[in-house]
Amino acid sequence: MSPRYLARRLVQAVLTVLFVVLLNFILFRMMPGSPERVLLRNPHLTAATMQAARERWGLDKAKFPVSISFDPPGISLEPENQLFDYVAASFQGDLGYSLQFRGRSVVDVIEERFWPTILLIGLAEIVAIVVGLGLGAYTGWRRGGVADRIGNGLSLIVYSMPYFVIGMPLIIIFAAELHWFPTSGMSTPGQDYASLVDRFVDIGSHLVLPLATISLGLIGGYSILMRSSIIETRAEDYVTTARAKGLSDRRIMTAHAFPNALLPTVTIVAINLGYVVAGAITAEIVFNWPGLGTLTVDALKARDYPLLQGVFLLLSVTVVFANLIADVLYGFLDPRVRT
Amino acid sequence: MRTRTARAFGAVALLMAILLPAAAAPAGAANDKVLRLGVLQSLDSMNPYGTALVVGYEVFELNFQQMVGFGSDLEPVPDFAASFERAADKHSWTFKFRPDMKWSDGQPATSADACFSWQLALDAIAADTNIGLGYLDPALKNAGVTKVECPDATTMIATTDDNSSRILQTYLPIIPKHIWGKYTYETIAEDKLFEPPADGKGLVGSGPYQAVEWKTGEFVRFKKNPNYAVNKGFEDEIIIRFFSSNDTMVQALKAGELDYARTISADQFKALANEPNVTTVNGASNGWTELGFNTYGTGTGKTIKGGGPSTKALQDPAFRDALGYAIDKQKLVDSVIGGYGAIGTTQIAPVLKAWHVEPTQVRTFDIEMAKQKLDAAGYKTDASGARLDKENKPINLRLVMPDSDANFAKDAQFIVDWFGQVGVKVTPKVYDEDTLIDLMLPPEAGDPVKYKADYDMFIWTWSWGPDPSDSLQVFNCDQIGSSSDSLWCNKDYDALYQQQLVAPDDAARLAILTQMQQMWYEQAPYHVLYYDDNLHAYRTDKFAGWKNQPANGTPLFSYSILGETLLTDATAATATPAAPSTAASAATSAQPSAAPTTGSSTSSGMTPILLVVAALVVIVAVGLTLSRRRRGTAEEE
Amino acid sequence: MTASAAARPTLRGERLRLRLRDLRRFTRRYWGRTDGVIGLAILVIFAALAIAPDLFVGRLETVTTASAPPLAPPGGTHLFGSDELGRDMLNLTVHGARISMIIGLMATFITVVLGAAIGIASGYVGGWVDNVLMRITDFFLVLPTFVLAVILAPLILELVGDDAEVVGIKATLIVIVVVIGLTSWATTARIIRSQTLSVKRRMFVDRARVIGGGSRHIMASHILPNVMNLVVANAVLTFAGAVFTETTLSFIGLGDPFQPSWGQILFAAEAAGAPGLGAWWYIVPPATSVVLVILSFTLVGNALDEILNPRSRVRR
Repeated sequence: MSPRYLARRLVQAVLTVLFVVLLNFILFRMMPGSPERVLLRNPHLTAATMQAARERWGLDKAKFPVSISFDPPGISLEPENQLFDYVAASFQGDLGYSLQFRGRSVVDVIEERFWPTILLIGLAEIVAIVVGLGLGAYTGWRRGGVADRIGNGLSLIVYSMPYFVIGMPLIIIFAAELHWFPTSGMSTPGQDYASLVDRFVDIGSHLVLPLATISLGLIGGYSILMRSSIIETRAEDYVTTARAKGLSDRRIMTAHAFPNALLPTVTIVAINLGYVVAGAITAEIVFNWPGLGTLTVDALKARDYPLLQGVFLLLSVTVVFANLIADVLYGFLDPRVRT
Repeated sequence: MRTRTARAFGAVALLMAILLPAAAAPAGAANDKVLRLGVLQSLDSMNPYGTALVVGYEVFELNFQQMVGFGSDLEPVPDFAASFERAADKHSWTFKFRPDMKWSDGQPATSADACFSWQLALDAIAADTNIGLGYLDPALKNAGVTKVECPDATTMIATTDDNSSRILQTYLPIIPKHIWGKYTYETIAEDKLFEPPADGKGLVGSGPYQAVEWKTGEFVRFKKNPNYAVNKGFEDEIIIRFFSSNDTMVQALKAGELDYARTISADQFKALANEPNVTTVNGASNGWTELGFNTYGTGTGKTIKGGGPSTKALQDPAFRDALGYAIDKQKLVDSVIGGYGAIGTTQIAPVLKAWHVEPTQVRTFDIEMAKQKLDAAGYKTDASGARLDKENKPINLRLVMPDSDANFAKDAQFIVDWFGQVGVKVTPKVYDEDTLIDLMLPPEAGDPVKYKADYDMFIWTWSWGPDPSDSLQVFNCDQIGSSSDSLWCNKDYDALYQQQLVAPDDAARLAILTQMQQMWYEQAPYHVLYYDDNLHAYRTDKFAGWKNQPANGTPLFSYSILGETLLTDATAATATPAAPSTAASAATSAQPSAAPTTGSSTSSGMTPILLVVAALVVIVAVGLTLSRRRRGTAEEE
Repeated sequence: MTASAAARPTLRGERLRLRLRDLRRFTRRYWGRTDGVIGLAILVIFAALAIAPDLFVGRLETVTTASAPPLAPPGGTHLFGSDELGRDMLNLTVHGARISMIIGLMATFITVVLGAAIGIASGYVGGWVDNVLMRITDFFLVLPTFVLAVILAPLILELVGDDAEVVGIKATLIVIVVVIGLTSWATTARIIRSQTLSVKRRMFVDRARVIGGGSRHIMASHILPNVMNLVVANAVLTFAGAVFTETTLSFIGLGDPFQPSWGQILFAAEAAGAPGLGAWWYIVPPATSVVLVILSFTLVGNALDEILNPRSRVRR
């Protein structure tokens, strides 16, 4: 792990983020549909109001620093433009104002929805890592056995299921029919909790079904990953050596194969973090979970550009840095990686 | 190793311990005095001037009173004003206020507040602009109000040049001057202004319930106003929950987590009829779903370069009339909206029974008639059976609709098929609402490069306020470039519109409205497909006293929040033993709650997010390091 | 395709013979894998349904040709029941196969062509080209694909225009195809590049270069055939991902209601409140189809991958 490699990866990450910011801006400005138009369905609006709305949201400025017109042909410089505003503000942590939730800053709105997602995804990841890696290691070690066939088969099936396909039956069975858990939301709204425990219980009961949905979906993938990693490790020399030394099968598995198979698996799990958040969108919708997923879809429906930009930026930055850390650590741990 | 495994099991067990008690606890709400409503919208703003959603109206109506309210039959009833009277010369109205009236914070509520609130709107009208989104202030403009005066603390006099009683139907909240007094019609629309204060005491108003908490995308919560005098609601709290899927909402209703669900699907409606303790209600709505035509050029002869309707046939009333015979409206009502609605005719919905007049001859579904009428109007078919327009071009109509309602696409499939039977090819396409608005606006909207009204037909929906002028207005010539989507223009219609505004009495107005509806139906810029009912459902095991407003409407989310104030205790009414938790929860909800304050966290901004991202990064790092150490140990052994 | 076989001096005929031998060996090994065979069998069934849906269930039912009462449970003439407009679910599901699979196929095509081209070019040419291409790849690799897809969808619709139509698939669906293609080629490019690097080091490429083959020639006739195995295995896995993404995008409402893919049917079911109505027959057929197709592609892909690429590891 040379300092040069470290520096290069860091520069790369920063460039990627800058690129994301630019892409973010360009993508959203090119999108069809202008938000202030929503207002026009209101028959009573005056032109002055429209203009005021445009000004308040900065939509009256030129989009780019250079504007090219064809009729008449010409190029003009626009010192006041939305791009410069956007980049400058982004780096100051100011992501502008949401159009949909009028008057709330994007950061505020995202923050409100950020914690529920972290809670849900965080717990789901923990459950999925514990169960998935355990299952994968076990089935991989017992490759070809009955447990492997069943375990791996089930893993493949849930791996093939979109989250909402897992979630819908869970709601019907455990919420609508059996009434074990609430159908949706994150807490009973407006509940005055007598104690912290009550609050945990309330949130916990709302959490069970969405958590089960996402965990199940992840367990499939993680177990497949771990299984193949274990199978590979089994063939390594040190396992053969350990076996030759007469160590018990169980001991070889827990002390040698498992820790070694864990490394690449954990790395991939880390890299996947961002995708998991995005993928949980449909699970959040099905359970009306007030997280980033439902927020993204709501924002898309309302053409809330600033909010979409914010979510996209947040997710991208998270993934970029999770990747960076994973890469660097991997480099430390596995001396073969030096490129 | 064994200990490590044990520790892992311990962690899982701990997690289970946290989650499992939840399974034992019954889902669904305790039998407390909290009214829980579910809507398929997500509140956009707490500011009355900044909301564009039904749920936003509900929120500010609960929080603030109007000058005059709506009774059970939509008759004007005292609200902020205790009484109201028109002067003999018809040029002014006198509103009287109760001397002992108080705001929810205990401050006296007087005529000063009323004058302040109305003056804001009048200032905006005088400046030829709007407050905020501009939904509220036009009420005073339409009512012809020119001046308000408050000679003493209990009196307000409004001068008007209008003969109607529209002044009694203004959705204009009376807001407390002692809080908002320093704001003008321009600054009052700032969005964050009306958010519930962090002290949990609620947004000061004089309405029956005050907002104490808003969680975007989740819910808004209200507490009862101790100083509200008119009708006292039984419930201590109201919570409006926002849903993104109507299935989730209905599940919540069935599970008892909700007491009321607004707008459910026809199939859900039918299924809920068999659910114990749930009542379904299909309220006649003041709105409709239409098939509209792009008639751009009608009455003006204008064309749009690179846009506009694809054939001149669309400007021909005879063509539109003929197509009207190729629509089986009854079939649409039965299949698409499950029978919950009435077939559509004129631009004033039948729910306004005083004003709705059926046309003299209603079109029936008759494909042969449609063909004959098309032939007669000069639209021949070619060898393949395709209809040709008068330029001998095959007619191929682009039918557009928004994705906001899944029923539009169902309607479209029928239309495609029926029009196909008379030789008119139709290509349907779904857009998101904003894109569609951009697509449909004509150059008159301001930007001739961007707005080209490039469509032929559309399916969309409208809903209206209590005065028929609303729905008449969008067909005026001056609405092209604004709210008009048929881009239809007829000077006679415009003249009639102005006349009905100043008609000396209701009988005279009805005569004009009859003429306008007949003319509009014959000209057919729209074919109103159906007046679709509002399908709502509510539980009857917790609250009783549900009363539709008006009788053929729905109990809640109607013209006013009257329904919320009429509820009573269902458990007492049916004399069934109250659940043991009633007393306890009533006690807890009586005292001010230690509601989790959102204020403290919202101020901190991006930092906590970054902290968590950093924490995640650290966790990953630690995980990897641990696995490395284990690897090290493994190699030593 | 072993190194020793490739290193042996060959004539064209000799090479062909070797290829045939490889193919036979491959087939034998594939038939030995139960999971691969099961996957292939499911795949063949769905492919047949997708190719000629009319043959099995007649024309796609529309609202006006609906043959059953609304939300009729399975039984009698309607084996899978009907939707809320009275359309036969079997009919819808089978026609959905066509739309879902065509979307998957087209998206996979874009992904693989783009990924393979960039991967080979990057790996073979090297230097700054490699650097630039890989930075772009890395960029697409780290973007949260699904959010990007959600964002890109309306934009692409604007770009391709409303009336575009490719092999009977309308613009709205092309959008989904392009979105999936654009957001998933990076993984393919990475894999192909590393394989290209290892192929490049082998002797025969140097030899080809000595006898004066141009870069394009070498890439097309020496590198491509040698990475083809990987391309195929990767394409099969990509297909599974594409069907997955299509279903999800349609489910959140980005599909086209006039062209019922499985995701679109599930979206309609959710909108009609089918889960709460107990109308499981509205959900189970399309959901099962999605899962079966993704599963079968994954099985086939894994089998191919393990046979063709012994060092491979399952990655998402």
